[in-house]
Amino acid sequence: MPKPVLRGLIIVAFFALTAFVLVPAFVPRPAFIPGFAPPPDMWPRTVSLAGIALGALALLFAVTRPQADEPPLETDGSSPARMTGRFAGLMLAFVLFLVAIPLLGFLVSTMLLTLCIVLMTGERGHRIWIALLAFGAPILLQLFFNSALGTQFPKGVLTKPFGF
Amino acid sequence: MLNEILSALVAVATLQNLLIMVAGIWGGVIVGAIPGMTGTMAVTLALPFTFYMDPVPSILLLVALYKGSTYGGSVSAILIKTPGTASAACTALDGYPLAQQGKAGKALNMALYSSVTGDFISNLSLIFFAAPLAVLALRIGPPEFFMLMLFALTTVAGVSGSSLLMGLVSAALGLLLATVGEDMYGSFRFAFTPDMQAGLSIAPVLIGLFALPELIKLVVMRAAKKEEAATLGAQHVTRAEFMGSLKSILKGSVIGSVLGAIPGIGPSSAAFFSYGEAQRSSKNGANFGKGELEGIAASESANNGACGATMIPLLALGVPGDVITGVMLGAFMIQGLTPGPLLFQTNIHEVYMLLIGMLVSSVLLFFAGKATMRMFAKVSHIPQTLLTPLVLLLCIFGIYSIASSPFDVAVLLVMGVVGFGMFLLNIPAAPFLIAFILGPMLEENLRRALAISRGEPAVLLSSPITWVFAALIVFVLFITVRREILKSKTERRVAQ
Repeated sequence: MPKPVLRGLIIVAFFALTAFVLVPAFVPRPAFIPGFAPPPDMWPRTVSLAGIALGALALLFAVTRPQADEPPLETDGSSPARMTGRFAGLMLAFVLFLVAIPLLGFLVSTMLLTLCIVLMTGERGHRIWIALLAFGAPILLQLFFNSALGTQFPKGVLTKPFGF
Repeated sequence: MLNEILSALVAVATLQNLLIMVAGIWGGVIVGAIPGMTGTMAVTLALPFTFYMDPVPSILLLVALYKGSTYGGSVSAILIKTPGTASAACTALDGYPLAQQGKAGKALNMALYSSVTGDFISNLSLIFFAAPLAVLALRIGPPEFFMLMLFALTTVAGVSGSSLLMGLVSAALGLLLATVGEDMYGSFRFAFTPDMQAGLSIAPVLIGLFALPELIKLVVMRAAKKEEAATLGAQHVTRAEFMGSLKSILKGSVIGSVLGAIPGIGPSSAAFFSYGEAQRSSKNGANFGKGELEGIAASESANNGACGATMIPLLALGVPGDVITGVMLGAFMIQGLTPGPLLFQTNIHEVYMLLIGMLVSSVLLFFAGKATMRMFAKVSHIPQTLLTPLVLLLCIFGIYSIASSPFDVAVLLVMGVVGFGMFLLNIPAAPFLIAFILGPMLEENLRRALAISRGEPAVLLSSPITWVFAALIVFVLFITVRREILKSKTERRVAQ
């Protein structure tokens, strides 16, 4: 499927989902609205309907007025499957990071996330810098924010006995 | 009057006041340059220190922090495509491409010169036009506000990316996201989790949308490594380049001064508006977004141009124009000064000291900016594979420290993924962001206007000011569509 058509379909689908499913379900109308004030769902519904119209227009243009090919994305030449795998790996790292905060604490979780991200970028040289970045930088940042702003970073259930 | 001004000048020109202003500007530039740390945070954190200071130095410190952070946002926007503040988002559009071309120093210098010029002009406008502009701003009611913001949004949608349609889609997405949380009558909209009842903060959305897609691109696509940015020493802005951008700088300064004087508009909207106007009117308009110095000049002159002007409604009417001037209002109160028309009668000496101090701080901004630039420029020599994870780390710590909320960190990461999705679909991010910032004000003013008019939509076109903005919206749409048709025809001709 050409990219402009796919784009139009995604836009229409997203705004239709919002207008016809999410707004009725997640925007409650109060029993009493003073005077002539518009209800809370007026604005999100209006924006969603406008979004559907814009998406439909994008779809129409994509079908009726074929445009010049968009320049290809700059990559390292990997296959789409491989890049999808990398994306899935990154999403997993983000989710694990959020899950790990209550267990390992903010400091250890950010250390692990940083190390993971650096390795996922393909960086294998600069080993001392990688170590400093992954382990030294979070400690420095935590010390700075803690002492300068008084931010209390969450400690982990498993790491609390060690003080972080 | 001259005696008053001279005595105020003598009172300002003490070593203590100068050191306070230098410290404020330096601190502001550094805070503004760190992604996730905002000018609001800097001003708020400095507020307790002002308890122990005299009235004028304390306000000068806060003003210096405000100005410094507004300029500082451009440093990270140019070097690492991460606007330190929302008002520097437009600067990233041209600054980062220039940095990639090895012209980071040129971009930083242009940002500094434009910021200083905009700031100086803004301070002059504060001195000369405080009262008349404040009176004009008072006449703007909900319908006029709505039309003004709609105009700003249309302009941004028209100038971002290669298609007006995608710009409008992006703006609609931003407006929709801005509705999350409690509305003006207490209903919780799209509150899928208890954390979402308070709405989404600007900082995680902004940083996530602009900084994280770069990281995701680096991990997923691993595009060929770019050459390192050139050293700053050989990257001065030439006289011809400055003169070429002077029109946009002056125009941006005026736009910033006028929009900054209207409560609620602030530096971000001024920067977007000025950028759009510069792109529309410049002969280099087609290069905007690809590394055009004039784009940086337009954006930076306007956002710093709004800084001084936001003090106009604060000083003349006692109405804060944005969050930062709201904090400053608190500082005035703490010092026993009540901003408003009476301030000009009862505390004229302090008012003159403040105005002169603001002019002096414009000059100090230049030197502090030059010094800080060299320090931050070293960032451009760090490999992307190390710098980008460091940016993520700064973002995570900065965002968490704002509200000690893991939810905000989650929003940051999710917005990064959203930004990456928008990049893949060629949907520009700038209209999304400005719509997200303006969204609550846009909706509030629409609902107020409809409530006042008993549900009559014609109220939105009920005064000459609304007619002007409606005409400008139509004009912008016409110009943008015409430009796109011409571009499409040219492309087809070239293809044939």
